[in-house]
This record gives sequence, structure tokens and C-alpha cells, in this order.
Amino acid sequence: MSDQPRPKVVSGAQPDVGHYEEFMAHAAHFLYRAYQECGELAEFDLFGAKHVLMAGADAQEAVYRAPDDRVSAAAPYQYMVPVFGEGIQYGAPLETERQQVRFMSDALRPKRMKTYAQVVAQEVEDFIADWGDEGVREFHDTFKDMVLRTSTHCLMGKEFRERLTDEFGVLFAQLEHAISPEAVVDFKSEADAFANRDEARARLQDMLMEAVNDRLAANARGEEPPTDMLQSFLDARYKDGSAMAHELIPGMIIWIMFGGFHTSSNTAAWCCVELARHPEYQRELIEEVDAIYGDGGDLSFTSLREMPVMEGFLNETLRLHPPLLTLMRQVVNEPFEYKGNSFEVGTNLVISPYVSHRLPEHFPDPEKFDPHRERPEHLFASIPFGGGKRKCVGNAFAFLQVKSILTALLSRYELSCVDPPESYAEVMPSLILRPSDPCNLRYTARTK
Amino acid sequence: MGVKTDLDLCQGHGMCEDTAPEVFRVVESQDGSYDHVELVIAEPDEGLREKIEEAVRFCPNRALSIEG
Repeated sequence: MSDQPRPKVVSGAQPDVGHYEEFMAHAAHFLYRAYQECGELAEFDLFGAKHVLMAGADAQEAVYRAPDDRVSAAAPYQYMVPVFGEGIQYGAPLETERQQVRFMSDALRPKRMKTYAQVVAQEVEDFIADWGDEGVREFHDTFKDMVLRTSTHCLMGKEFRERLTDEFGVLFAQLEHAISPEAVVDFKSEADAFANRDEARARLQDMLMEAVNDRLAANARGEEPPTDMLQSFLDARYKDGSAMAHELIPGMIIWIMFGGFHTSSNTAAWCCVELARHPEYQRELIEEVDAIYGDGGDLSFTSLREMPVMEGFLNETLRLHPPLLTLMRQVVNEPFEYKGNSFEVGTNLVISPYVSHRLPEHFPDPEKFDPHRERPEHLFASIPFGGGKRKCVGNAFAFLQVKSILTALLSRYELSCVDPPESYAEVMPSLILRPSDPCNLRYTARTK
Repeated sequence: MGVKTDLDLCQGHGMCEDTAPEVFRVVESQDGSYDHVELVIAEPDEGLREKIEEAVRFCPNRALSIEG
């Protein structure tokens, strides 16, 4: 035995399955317990696979700055390949995948973001137009509908958005079933969920391919190409000058939708829950909203990015309720060293925004919702979107979208809780942390 | 004034170039992965401070910082 330091092992492992049952019951709470018991590095076991929670800004920085050939994102996320398709993301060679994310970054440049801001603002206005003076709504589902509209519009353009039916959302839900925690641990299982997933994926391929072909025909007729992500993906070129195979474009759309759909809609819902719980902060936000939007202002890209109060509020919501509670990497090629520990090849390194955002050294009194908190100096302390080269490329788009939704809402309504404030709990039916069902809130027209 | 770029964090969103094109430009990377920021001038003068501060603030990845 070497005298190298080793991470402490989390208590409570069961024969054969390890910590699987507790992890499955509520992964966020399990990981938080792991950190409290073991500190910065906590080793646990899921069905024989070794996992190490890397908790803390320094540990996260070490993982996020490590190159792909040392810690791999592709290895632990192979279960996404049937969802996005062969040839896409981790179903493609690393150098292809790196270029595909560049296509996404290109589709999110300022010129395009300015157009998306207009699209989102219009969709949000239309969505709330018939809400009346007051009412109660289930905000989780409300924002799912809203984000589906805004996202498909920005991604696929006006024509696709106008033809959008409920089927698209249903198919998407079927695909998502494939990332339930069961699927993550045993993705080769023959469960019904996987048959459904493959069926839904095939149908989405047809629907999206039809839109791709329509666009290609419009381009061929010489029509002005619209500013949306579909066009951006069609125009994108790999380093060798080649375009993406058209059949892969639906996979790109599904991939970017997957990243942005529930994460954004959940975040919008959590923001509204926290607004309803904290009338004093809601008033501050309303003041800021009125200043930019009250007097004939618009929800432009430029005005939305100058909202410090809203930003503080959104950051604090993402701190306490990060939609993705684990981000995984796997050690590949050679052991990964951190502070004298050596993690052998095959070890899964787990980064948890949920845990990281509750470390008292960066966030004093961590359970307290405080939108006036100072942002930690450490670049890797706050990681709702991950970090480093593999940080969520849609992070600025997510902010734009949620700010646009909240600004439009608060310019018309005040929000309040229907149920006791503490009854809105964190639940995780999938790997995404969401507010408990039903997430009912009351909206009341503001007296101006 | 010195400006620092952290290329481990940059994903080529181009907000800096949009905000302060005198100081930042986005260039293609060798391997076809994310484009990345490059400084147009190494030591911009004080007159540009306000614009650079905006660029730092608007970077979605906190890839930029001012030194001094």
C-alpha cells in the first residue's frame, strides 16, 4: 500500500449496489451529505463504479482546466449518444465534437443574440397577453410551454414555430426519460423507456428534417436567409471547409434544445417562487424593470444586459437551485493527480453545483436566499453552467431568456405564494432539480 | 493598463469584440474548436478604460480581467 492520501469514503454503502439507493432517492441531498461527512474529496460507489465528489472551487478548477485527454466528458456521457444521434457530440470523434460546439457558439454571437432578444420578447408578450388581471397558474408547466415556444422560434425560425404542435413537447419528454438516473447508471438496459426514446428520436428526426429541407428549398429559391440557429448550422463549416451532413442538423437542434429547455424553464419557475417568497426583493426588481421597460422601453439585448438587480437575483436563484446538480468527468489515459491524491483511470469525477454553491467559505449562511450577496472572487466557486472550455455555451442566451420572461411578467404582475412558502420543495424526478408539483403561484395586476 | 485573457474560459462569444473592438477581436483557433479572444493592443490607454470595463462585465465566461 502506498502512503498517498486518499479521499474519505462516504458511509452507508450497501453490498453490490454501493450508495446507489441513497443516490437515487435524492442525488443532491446525498452529495451534500457526502461533502459534509468527507470534505473536499468524497469517494462513493454506484454499482461498483468508483466516483469521487470534487467539492470546492480549487478542486473544480483543477477538473475544469484539465484537457480532454486527461478527464473526459465523452466517456461518462455516452448514454446521450442515442438521444442526439451518432455523429453528433459524444457520438462523434472529439475533434468533430469540438467544432460542433463552435457552431453553437457562432450561432450565439452578438448580432444573432440581438435578434433572439426580439423574438423572445415578442413570444413572452404574446404568451401572457390573455392572462387577465389575476389568477393562479402552475408555473413549472407554464414556463415549459413558454420556453418551448421561445427556444424553437430562435432555433428553427418562424415557420417551424408557427407549425409547432403539442407533439413536439411530448416527443421531447419521451427523449428526456432516457436521462433518468436509472438510465444513467445502466444505459444499456432494455427498459421500455429506451424503446420509447428511440421511437421519439426517429419521429423528431422526421419533423426536424422536414424543416431542414424546407429551409434548403427556400435558400435555393434565393430567399433572404433568416437569423436563426438552423440557418447558422447550415452555414457552418468544419475546419476542412466542409458543411455538416444535413441529416445531422436535427441532432444539433435536439442537443442544444436538451441543454436549454428544462434548465431555463426550471430556473424561471424557481425565480418566480423566490420572488413570491420575498416581496421585498420583488419590489426592488419591479423598480428596475419599470426603469428600463416602463416608459416605452423594450426588451432589447442591450437593455436586458444592464439589469444588475435582476442579475443578482438570477445568480442567487441559480446558486440555491442549480438545475443540473452533477457534472461528470472520467479519468482517461493516465491517473489524475490532485493535491497528492491519485485517481486511477476510470474514476468518475463528480462536480456538483448544488454542493459547491453551499460551501460556507464562498457563501456565508449558505441556505439563506440573499440576492445582494457578493460574487465570490474565485472563478470556479459559482458554477451553475459548469466551467472551463466545456461550460454551457448557451449561458448568455439562458440569462437573456429568463430576464426577458421576468421583465415582461413583473411589468404587469406581482407574484405571491398560493401554498405556504416553505412547501415549494426541491424534487428531482430526473437529473434536473425542479420545484415540487404543483408549483402554483398567484399573479395580480400591478396598480400603476 | 494591462488586460488579461484566460483562454481556458473563452468560448468565442464575441461580446468583448462587440463592446470594445479597439481592444478585442475574436480569431479562429488552429484546431477548429471555439474561436477565441485576442488583444488588438497589449497596453490600451486610460481613455478606453470604461469600454474595457464593460467588455469585462459582459463576458459571459469571466475570461477577461484588468490589471492595474
